[in-house]
Amino acid sequence: MTNRHKLISICAVCLGIALAIVPLRVVAQKTDRAKSLGTKLMCMCGCGQILTQCNHINCPSSGPMLKELDMHVTKGEADDLIIQDFVQEYGEKVLSAPPATGFNSIAWYIPGFAFVIGLAIVVMVIRLWRQRDVARVATAGAAPPVPHDSASDLIDARLERARKQADRETED
Amino acid sequence: MYAIVGGIAAIITRHPLLIKSARNAGFAVCVLIWMGTASLVYLFYTDNFSMAYVAAHSNRSLSHYYKFSALWSGQEGSLLFWSFLLSIYVFSALYTYRGKHPELMPYVGVVMAGVQIFFLTMNNFVASPFHVFAAPGAGGILHLATRADGSGLNPLLQYPEMAIHPPTLYTGYTGFTIPFAFALAALLGRYPGEKWIHLTRRWTMIAWAFQSAGILLGAHWAYAVLGWGGYWGWDPVENASLMPWLTGTAFLHSVMMQEKRGMMRVWNVWLVFLTFMLCILGTSLTRSGAVNSVHAFAESKIGHWFWSFLLLIIIVCVVAFFKNRDYLRSDNQLDSMLSRESSFLFNNLILLVACVAVLAGTLFPVLSEAVRGSKISVGPPFFNRVNIPIAMFLLFLTGVGPLLAWRKTSVESLKKNFGFPMLGGFIAAGIAVALGLREFYVALCLLLSTFVTLTILSEFYRGASVIAARTGANLLSAAGQLTMRNTRRYGGYVVHFGMVLVFIGIAGQAFNQDKQMDMNAGSVLTLGPYRLYLQNYDSTQEPNYSAERATIDVEKGGRSVMMLYPTRRFYPSNQESGTMVAISSTLREDLYVVYAGTNPDTNLPVIHAYLNPLVKWIWLGGAVVVFGTILALLPNRQAVMVLSPATAGESAPVPGGAQPARISFSARSQLPDSHD
Repeated sequence: MTNRHKLISICAVCLGIALAIVPLRVVAQKTDRAKSLGTKLMCMCGCGQILTQCNHINCPSSGPMLKELDMHVTKGEADDLIIQDFVQEYGEKVLSAPPATGFNSIAWYIPGFAFVIGLAIVVMVIRLWRQRDVARVATAGAAPPVPHDSASDLIDARLERARKQADRETED
Repeated sequence: MYAIVGGIAAIITRHPLLIKSARNAGFAVCVLIWMGTASLVYLFYTDNFSMAYVAAHSNRSLSHYYKFSALWSGQEGSLLFWSFLLSIYVFSALYTYRGKHPELMPYVGVVMAGVQIFFLTMNNFVASPFHVFAAPGAGGILHLATRADGSGLNPLLQYPEMAIHPPTLYTGYTGFTIPFAFALAALLGRYPGEKWIHLTRRWTMIAWAFQSAGILLGAHWAYAVLGWGGYWGWDPVENASLMPWLTGTAFLHSVMMQEKRGMMRVWNVWLVFLTFMLCILGTSLTRSGAVNSVHAFAESKIGHWFWSFLLLIIIVCVVAFFKNRDYLRSDNQLDSMLSRESSFLFNNLILLVACVAVLAGTLFPVLSEAVRGSKISVGPPFFNRVNIPIAMFLLFLTGVGPLLAWRKTSVESLKKNFGFPMLGGFIAAGIAVALGLREFYVALCLLLSTFVTLTILSEFYRGASVIAARTGANLLSAAGQLTMRNTRRYGGYVVHFGMVLVFIGIAGQAFNQDKQMDMNAGSVLTLGPYRLYLQNYDSTQEPNYSAERATIDVEKGGRSVMMLYPTRRFYPSNQESGTMVAISSTLREDLYVVYAGTNPDTNLPVIHAYLNPLVKWIWLGGAVVVFGTILALLPNRQAVMVLSPATAGESAPVPGGAQPARISFSARSQLPDSHD
């Protein structure tokens, strides 16, 4: 396959995937404000679902809460004020994500903290292993060469070539 | 109990008869568990409502199909089912390695028996499914009592997938017991080398495949039954199944470093331990009521048993590790930063960070309540925000890893291998952005998905073209030969491709639309390109439930394209309602219609319609993942290489005039696989 063919194949694959996704954007609707705010709140019926996603038949909580939300939005209240109003009424549990302040902000820091610590460990481990490798190469370099006759050299070279070829084809 | 005591005695005395006796005890335990499980199934099929568990989860009109799945629908039965699945694994492991590895297997038998003892204690003394109803008779003597009919099965569980999803997921959870048992046994018995890794690789892959399929089947069940238009809600029980999957995935990658290079012995042992611990933690979360979940069993007092067992496992693992840590010492060396080894390190880092993020989000409400006295919610917005960047990085590594060689990759080779796939990724994302895509993560996902797909394709192409050139076969057949020569490697690529499909499917979520409307006959709801015309409502009476059904004519582009029948069911036996969602699924999008109930204000039926793009790609990706894993589990076909004869030009003169040795390259030489 020539480079031109490769490029055409790549473009075909890309275009296929892109076309599968892109038209969806064209038909996508704009999410209204109430719906967007609803994703920041939990349904309080105990189902553990986002307010706008609770679909329990005759759910005692989601219906009144959604009506309340619509009422606030209709009045033109600010987003923060609406959320605050719900927190006052139902407690912090109504928020679908922990607030990024005070003790609850820890939840947001844990993944980042884990990543930084993990990254530091990985980098440290890589450096340590690299140093060991450098030491190994230095030791190997200092060792006297093992004499070979040319016939066995030839066999070794061809065997090595065959191994490499096999490795290339079956390497993990 | 004899299996564990006899096993310990066998380890101490090394007496062959004791070893055999302990193993046979293990077999006997398994057979007895099967008999116990079969008894419960029999009780369900014979409508024996003197049994409390049968009466609580079945009724006479329940179909035979669901009478079987009722076995695991409650706390007690599901624990017995857990023991049943575990016993299949234990039996298979004991049988497969009977008479083999005499230094290792007694330890393995003891660890597996230890795990079984815990679950059998639960089955017999804590949450037995064999309790019977009793009523006081004359003289206050208790007599067996029988109910006329049972309460019936939870409507949410009366769906075909519920007969598949829990067994699949449980098979995944329980399957991780085998690598755990081998890892702990190797550590306790100081079993030399990487043999335990080779022995458990297939078991781990089987468990992982079941866990993957179980998670996706659960997602599909949630999608098709719960009627909320989504498939993954970051519910604690969903998270509990994801965490061991993440660490199991990390293990399946890092284990290659131990096999290939003898590296990361400590890490791998701990990954296996951690995976098993997370399986037990997940079970605890599901069963203890520690966290709120729609999937959890009713709150019960068995949680502290699981927490105690988890603590015991941690203590055993830590003690075993510190006592024998010198056994795990390995001479880890890294030739280059640009190597497959370092990509695996990053892969493990990312998977572990994802696991920590999920664990933190799942348990944070409990922590917050303990510290501040008030519970908070950690819902999808938290998990999505934290995990999407992690997932993108992981997707990137999925593409990078296979391009890097073991030990060292030259910058030139990197440029050569990266060039086309990366270019392809940018072209795809560029086209999408030019056509109006504005969601950053969707564009990034598209870029990386294309990159990974092209990487995989180029790997297949490179290998297949070598074989095609040598054998004269066409590329497709050569790709097949290539795959069968190294099933693990190419099966792994197929799994990666499956994951790409899953990622693309998830990316489609950014474009979900939905609309809810009170509708009577003749009403029309418009959603995207679809026009839903409600023709009428009707009702039917089935033996186990009554159903109200809406008949909806779906029009697209001015013509009728399909009929949908969203249904709402009422189950009189347990006075509960359920929905049967009507889904029209294509690769492009799902039209998902729910009969959501009746509006109490207008007394009109409520229809909720969703347009969910690309969802089918997720299920398709799941199938590809399972297929790839099966492929990777197949034994390699021996590579047969035909090398060209040595030519005169290649022959170097040999001192002394002797004929240079013509090694047998001219003959067909069977070369061993490079691994596994």
